[in-house]
Amino acid sequence: MFKLNLKIALRNLWKNKGYTAINVGGLSIALAAFIVVILYVSYETSYDKDVPNYDRIYQVGRSLPDFKTEYTPAPLAKAIKDHFPEVEAVGRTKSIPFEFPMTTDHGRVYTTKALQLDQETAKMFNIVPTNGPDEEKDLKLNMYIPELFRKQLFPNPKTTFPQFIMLGPKAAAQQEVVRGTIDRIDQHSNLKFDIVAIGRDIAFNDQDYGTNNHNTYIQVKQGTDILVLEKKIDQLYKKELIKSGVPANDRRIAGRSVIFLDALKNLHLKPIAGNDTNYKVVMALLGLSILILIIACINFTNLSIVLATKRAKEVGIKKVMGAYRLNLTIQFIAEIFMQCFIALVLALALAEVMLPLFNSIFSTPLSIWKGVSSLAWQLPLILVVVTLISGIYPAMVLSGYKPVQVLKGNFQTSYKTLWLRNFLLIGQFGIAIIFIVGLLVVSSQLKYMRAEDTGFKPDQVLYIKNIVLFREPASFEPLREKIAKIPGVNNVTISSNLPDGSKPGTNTYKVDGKEATIDFIFTDYNYFETLGIELKEGRFFSKEFKSDEENGAIINETAVARYGLVNPIGKTIRGCGMDYKIVGVIKDFKSQGFERAVDPTIYTVKNPCSFSKDKILINVDQSRMSFVIAALKKQWPDINKTDGDDFRYEFVNELYGRLFKKQEQLQSVFLFAATLTIFIALLGLFAFSAFTIANRVKEISIRKILGATDFDVYRLLNSYFVWIVLVANLIAWPAAYLLARKWLDTFAYRIEMPLIPFITAAAISTIITVLTVSIQARKAVKTNPAAALKYE
Amino acid sequence: MIKIENLEKVYKTEEIETTALNGINLQVKEGEFVSIMGPSGCGKSTLLNVMGLLDKPESGSYKFIDTELLKLNDRERSNFRKRNMGFVFQNFNLIDELTVFENIELPLIYNKVAAGERKRLVNEIIERMNIVNRSGHFPQQLSGGQQQRVAVARALVTKPKLVLADEPTGNLDSSHGNEVMELLCELNEAGTTIVMVTHSSHDASFSNRIINLKDGHVISEKINKGRTEELI
Repeated sequence: MFKLNLKIALRNLWKNKGYTAINVGGLSIALAAFIVVILYVSYETSYDKDVPNYDRIYQVGRSLPDFKTEYTPAPLAKAIKDHFPEVEAVGRTKSIPFEFPMTTDHGRVYTTKALQLDQETAKMFNIVPTNGPDEEKDLKLNMYIPELFRKQLFPNPKTTFPQFIMLGPKAAAQQEVVRGTIDRIDQHSNLKFDIVAIGRDIAFNDQDYGTNNHNTYIQVKQGTDILVLEKKIDQLYKKELIKSGVPANDRRIAGRSVIFLDALKNLHLKPIAGNDTNYKVVMALLGLSILILIIACINFTNLSIVLATKRAKEVGIKKVMGAYRLNLTIQFIAEIFMQCFIALVLALALAEVMLPLFNSIFSTPLSIWKGVSSLAWQLPLILVVVTLISGIYPAMVLSGYKPVQVLKGNFQTSYKTLWLRNFLLIGQFGIAIIFIVGLLVVSSQLKYMRAEDTGFKPDQVLYIKNIVLFREPASFEPLREKIAKIPGVNNVTISSNLPDGSKPGTNTYKVDGKEATIDFIFTDYNYFETLGIELKEGRFFSKEFKSDEENGAIINETAVARYGLVNPIGKTIRGCGMDYKIVGVIKDFKSQGFERAVDPTIYTVKNPCSFSKDKILINVDQSRMSFVIAALKKQWPDINKTDGDDFRYEFVNELYGRLFKKQEQLQSVFLFAATLTIFIALLGLFAFSAFTIANRVKEISIRKILGATDFDVYRLLNSYFVWIVLVANLIAWPAAYLLARKWLDTFAYRIEMPLIPFITAAAISTIITVLTVSIQARKAVKTNPAAALKYE
Repeated sequence: MIKIENLEKVYKTEEIETTALNGINLQVKEGEFVSIMGPSGCGKSTLLNVMGLLDKPESGSYKFIDTELLKLNDRERSNFRKRNMGFVFQNFNLIDELTVFENIELPLIYNKVAAGERKRLVNEIIERMNIVNRSGHFPQQLSGGQQQRVAVARALVTKPKLVLADEPTGNLDSSHGNEVMELLCELNEAGTTIVMVTHSSHDASFSNRIINLKDGHVISEKINKGRTEELI
C-alpha cells in the first residue's frame, strides 16, 4: 500500500512539476529564512549557557533615582559572602576602560577589552587559563593572553610561560609577566575580554563604598528565594553605606530599594541596567520569520487545495475500492510531509548560502553545522509543525470527497473552500503589504536622520586615540600648538567624551536653589569650534579669560530649560564641590543620535568629578584631509611624546554614523522580508491564477465567441485578484500604521507618519498582481475558442 | 441474493426537493444479469449507487444474502463493499498515475491480499482480459475499449459476488461497446451476478431481465427470453 501511494505521490508531483516547484520552492525559501533566524535567536538567547550553574548566577546592580547601573562598590562582594549562607560564591570583575599596547621583541598588539577577574568569577564562568599556577595562595594578579595575541607576541609555538611583556606606550612602559594563555576566543559570553588578569582579590581589600567600579556576580544555592535575598542584600548595602559616612536620609538610599539581582540569562538581551532593545530586535526577527513561514504555509495550503480537484477522481476510486477516510488522510499528509521534507533539505542549503550575508549584517558567527546543536531537535519539530499546518486542511478536504459526485464527473470545487482561499490570499498579501509599508517608513526615517541637521559638523573632524590623561589645559597646550602648525588644521581640542552616542558622566548641579542631575563633559578650549557647535548666547571658552580655566561653564539650551533660567549668563552653577560661572549657552546638538532627546549638559575646563580628558579632536580642511593625516602620522612621535608609538585615528562622522547601524540593520531586514514575502505571495498567486484560468478556458472561449474583446477577458480575469489585493491593503494599513507609529515613537527626533508608503504599497501590490495574472491570462486570451470547445 | 423493499431517496437542494427513488421494490437472484433502463433523471444511477453502498437512502430495506445493509455504519459499508462488490463506470475511472497492473492491483491491496497472491490474481485476470501486453501502460496510453477492459478487470479481480456497471459502454464506439458487453456476458455465464444501468436497448439485450424505471418507480420488468433460454 505504502509503495503504491508513494508511486502515486511521486508521479503526481512529477506530472505537476511546475506547481510542485512553486510549492516546494516557496516553502524552502521561507524555511531557510526561518532556520537562519532560529539560529540567530538560539545564539542570542544562549549567552553563557554553557556555564555550569547558569540558572543560579546573578549580577548585583544598583538602582539610583535617575538611572540603573551594574557598577557596585568593591567591598560589597565580600560583605555578601560573609552574611548570606545561601550565596555559594561571589566574584567581581573590573574592566580597564581604555585601550593600550602590549609589546614584546616580536610584535605589538592593542588590547581594547582588558578585564580583571576574581578567581571566584573565573570559576563561576568556567574560565580556565592554560599554564595557570595554583592561585589559591597567590595574592597578586596573574595575566593571561588569548591564543591570537600569543601568535603575534610570541610567534615561536614552543614558547613556555611565564614571559615578560611591556604594557603601555614605549615612553611609559611597564614590565609585566604573562602567566600563560587562555583558550577562549568565543565571544559568546557576557564577560568579554581580550586579555584577562585573574587574582584572589582584584580589589586588594578595598573598603571604599563610595566608588562603584566593579561588577559583582553571585551564585546562589538551589532553591534560594531571589526576591528575599535581594531585599537582604539591599539592607546590607544601605547599612554598610551609612557606616561609611553617607547620611541615612541621602536621596539615593532613603525610602527606596537600591540593590537588584539580574539573572545571568537576562544580561545579554534585557539587562535591568540597560535597555531591552536587543531583546526586542531578536523577538521581532523571530516574529517576522514566523510570519514569513506562515505565508509560505498558506501558499502551500492554498495550492494544495487548488490542486486537490485533480486528485478527486483518485479519492473517489479508492473509496469505492474500500479505502477509509483515515487511510486517505494519512496518505495525503504523508505526501505533504514528503514535500516539506524536500523543502527542508533545500532550505538548509539555502540557509548555508544566506548565512554569510546575515552574519555580516548582524556581526554574528552563525553556522548550521557547528555551535548551536539545538537545531538537531528544532528541525524535526519544524518539519512536523509545517507539515501539519500546511497539510491538515488539504488532507481533510481531499479525503472528504464524496465518490458518487466525483466519479460521475460533475465534480466542482466546493464554494466552501473558496472563502478560505480568499481569506488565505488576503492574509498573504496583507502581510507582504505590512512589510512594504514598514520598509518605506524605516527608509524615510533613515533618510531624515542622514539629512537632518544634527547641530554639529562631524564631517571634517578627526578623533585621535591616545592613552595619556590630560587634566590641565597647560599640559595639553604643547600638543595643541604642534598640531595646529600643520597646514589644513583649523582647530584642536581634547575632551572626556566623543559625540558618538556614548553617555557622559552625570552629576547633580544647582542653580538659583534648583537642583537637577545633568550630564557633564570635561573639555578644553576650542571644543565647540572644533565640532562646529553653534553658540546661542554669551561666548565660548577663551584663553583671553583666564577665569575660564578656573570656573567657566557653558551649558546647553536643554539645561537652561531644565533650570528654568531666563538670563543664564553670569549665573552661578554649583556641582562637583565647586561654583562655576555660566559664560555661554550653546544650541542643542544631537550627540546621542536621534533616539534620545538631547540631555541637559554642562561643559567645563575644570572638573573635579571627571577622571580625565584623553580624546583628541582635530578639525581639518576637507580638501587637505589626507595631507594632514600623513603629516600627523609622521610627526606623532614628536607631538605626543608619551603615546607616540602608533598614530591611531578615526573619523568622528563614521563614529556618529554607527549610531544608525541598528536602523540600517532593520532596513536590511525589512528589505529582505518585504522582498521575500512578496516573492512568495507572487509564487502563490502565479500558480493559483494559472490554475483558475486554466479551469476557465471553456468559459472564456464561449465569451469570446459571444463577442468579448481581449481587454474584456483581461479585465474579467484580473478583477477578482485586484479585489483581493485591495481588500488586503485595507486590512493591512491599520496594522502597518500602528506598528510604524510604535516604532517611530522610539525616536526623540522623527518624521511625521508619511502617507506615501501606504499609497506605494497599494500601487506596488496591485501592479505586480495585475502583471502576474495577465501573464497567465494571456494564454487564455490567445487560446483558439474552437479548439477549447472541441472536447465538449 | 438481493432484496430491496420500499426504497426511498430524496435529493434536497436549497430550493427544491427531488424524489429520485420512490418506493422501489426489487429482487436480484444469484447469477442473474439485470439491466436497469429509463429516461434521464428516472433514478437509475441513484439506485445503482444505493446498491453499491455509495449513497444512503432515506428509508426502505436492502438485504444482501440476508444481511440488512442499510443499518451498517460507514466503515462497515466500506468493508462490505470491498469484499463483495465490483464497479464498472461509464468514464472508466482509472487512476491516471498508476499503470494498468497497479490499477487492477488496487482493490486487492485494500482487501489486504498478500503481495505474491496479488501478483498471481492480477496476472490471471490480465491474461483473461487479453491485455497482457498493456500491463505496464498508463491509462492515457490506451484506447477507450482497452481502458474499459482494465476497469472490468479491476472490478473482477477480487472475485466479487456482485458487479455493478453504470453505462459501461457510454463512452465507447459500437465495436468497443460490443466487446465490453460480450465480456460482461462471459463473466455472467461464469457465475457473476451483474446489475447494469444503461440507456441502450442494444446493451440491455445482453441481460436476462430488464427493469424500467420512471420518476423513481419501477414501471415494468421484462424477461429477456433469448438470453434466459440460453442460460437454461
